[in-house]
Amino acid sequence: MRSPFRPDNVPDAAVLDNHRPLIRSLERRGLIRGGLSLGALVMLTGCDVKRPASVQAALRAISRMNDEVQALLFDPNHLAPTYPSSMILRPPKFNAYYDVMDVKPVNGETWRLELSGLIADKRPWTVRDLQAMPQSSMVIKHICVEGWSYIGGWTGVPLRIFLERVGADLRAQYVAFKTADDYPSSIDMATALHPQTLLAIKYGGETLADPFGYPVRLRMATKLGYKNPKWITALEVTNTYPGGFWEKKGFPWFAGI
Amino acid sequence: MSQAKTSPVTAVRAAPAGRRLHPLPVRIMHWINAAVMLIMITSGWGIYDDDPIIRGFVFGSFWRLGDWAAWSLNWHFAGMWFLAINGLIYLIYGIVSGRFRERLLPIRPAEVVQTVVETLHFKIAHEDLTVYNAVQKLLYIIVILAGISQVVTGVAIWKPIQFSGLVSLLGGFQSARVLHFIGMAVIVGFVAVHVALALLVPKTLWAMLQGGPRVKPSTRVQRGVKS
Amino acid sequence: MAVLRLLWLCVALVPITAPADAQSTTPGGMPPPPGMSLAESTAMRFPQPVRVGDLIHKDVLRPVASQQVLGHVRAVVRAGDGTIKIVMSFGGFLGIDTRQIAVPVDAMVLVGQDMEVVAFTPKQLAGFPTFTASGTTPVPQDTIIRVGLAKPSH
Repeated sequence: MRSPFRPDNVPDAAVLDNHRPLIRSLERRGLIRGGLSLGALVMLTGCDVKRPASVQAALRAISRMNDEVQALLFDPNHLAPTYPSSMILRPPKFNAYYDVMDVKPVNGETWRLELSGLIADKRPWTVRDLQAMPQSSMVIKHICVEGWSYIGGWTGVPLRIFLERVGADLRAQYVAFKTADDYPSSIDMATALHPQTLLAIKYGGETLADPFGYPVRLRMATKLGYKNPKWITALEVTNTYPGGFWEKKGFPWFAGI
Repeated sequence: MSQAKTSPVTAVRAAPAGRRLHPLPVRIMHWINAAVMLIMITSGWGIYDDDPIIRGFVFGSFWRLGDWAAWSLNWHFAGMWFLAINGLIYLIYGIVSGRFRERLLPIRPAEVVQTVVETLHFKIAHEDLTVYNAVQKLLYIIVILAGISQVVTGVAIWKPIQFSGLVSLLGGFQSARVLHFIGMAVIVGFVAVHVALALLVPKTLWAMLQGGPRVKPSTRVQRGVKS
Repeated sequence: MAVLRLLWLCVALVPITAPADAQSTTPGGMPPPPGMSLAESTAMRFPQPVRVGDLIHKDVLRPVASQQVLGHVRAVVRAGDGTIKIVMSFGGFLGIDTRQIAVPVDAMVLVGQDMEVVAFTPKQLAGFPTFTASGTTPVPQDTIIRVGLAKPSH
């Protein structure tokens, strides 16, 4: 039966289709270039009428509890399944909190990895320094919190070897990262020391391409995709909870898989 | 359980009016489960929409719990504890109290066919709430198994590396996702029928709130004492 | 009846939802800005090397959250003007009435295992002529071509 609330003359949905490029370019101007809008303000506060503060606080509390459960479930000796290199997806899947046009490539010549926190030798690292370190390769599944996954092949310096080399306090709680795309991130020390946690500088045997984090990004087989910052510029070992980009917006921090 | 040691006759005398069709623990667990299922299903739809399994199909914001994926996820990962713990207690209670055996078994294929035929002729026999027909029994067993399956596939999706053995048993991460989605569809299908029938025969709904008719002592003696 | 109240609370909370776009500050798979050529827009999308054989059979999606499937890559050809086109199945239902169209590779992007048409709407694609091989040369499977990228659409 027809609902009495439905208008007799329904506007043709094709009107949206016809004007889609225009709508999109308007959205784009408004959202990307435009800066602050009411919507953006709502996002900044991290809370609004759609999500009552008490509900949000309760969910965050359970999420923190889940972080601890996840840390307990994490087996530092359990290796993620690996795959033959013929299964590597080339190129890998791009994802970020912005689309690919807004990627700002990093100049590998002038790039330095700054070190801070509970680290003995805080001298900055160059690309060549990283290339000179022992390398490890792994073909692993990349699993995104959204649900998609693909098989990727990564080569780089095991983070454990790097941390040992710079004299990091391996009993500290967190390893935190800063990136060129303003995507702070942090992980637990147990995962940092896992053999399948790399400071990756290559994908599929080739130098990491710009959109995937050149010159160096993190790749962990044991955490969701969003925990793997790209274009890393600084690394800190700390006991103060550093949080992260998505964590601030609501995603769980531990994000182990 | 102390009554189990006394003779069946005394047990019946001790509770002359008999036990309710739905004892209080069952009712509490039922409504907790109903609320948590609603949370799990609608927040699951919020997570689904970020990467649809059926290409071209998303649930849309009206159906999602959580204003965007992170909060759908947080609802889901909060609800999972209530679902799993409540479900586990329910399973233990159902087995230990004998409720499952009493209400859900045996199922004879002939009875299932008969009930389906009767239902198709609009003869919905629901005069006696205390006896489930064969189709009811089958549906309850299916939904209990679907619930268990959701927890198993859910764990696989949540920790595909820590439980990589389980994931490969399920055919990989993406098939575990699909199985989790199918389990949801089974449960949603059950809920649709279940709620429709409860509204058609409102005394069943009332029974799940207030306890329903007292189960005849004689039937309890026949089945042995399990109070 | 605290339990009931909780149930109603949940029912009440379900419609309290909003667009899920908070996740991305830039939506994925947007069309080229007005006035920009397809080649220029691909240059902005960090085109990556990909083996032609790896493109065959890929799903071609619409850049929308529902990931609607428009068709599948059937072949890669070089047109008379030297540009590379992706021959894809398009339209119809369950294979009936499905035809092949040739879409400039610069109108498309790679999103992981899939491709998306970003520069044309389905309606515009419906106006594309049915592909005929004449005047085009197939690009061998082992050829490496460059295809722009996009993030998943939300």
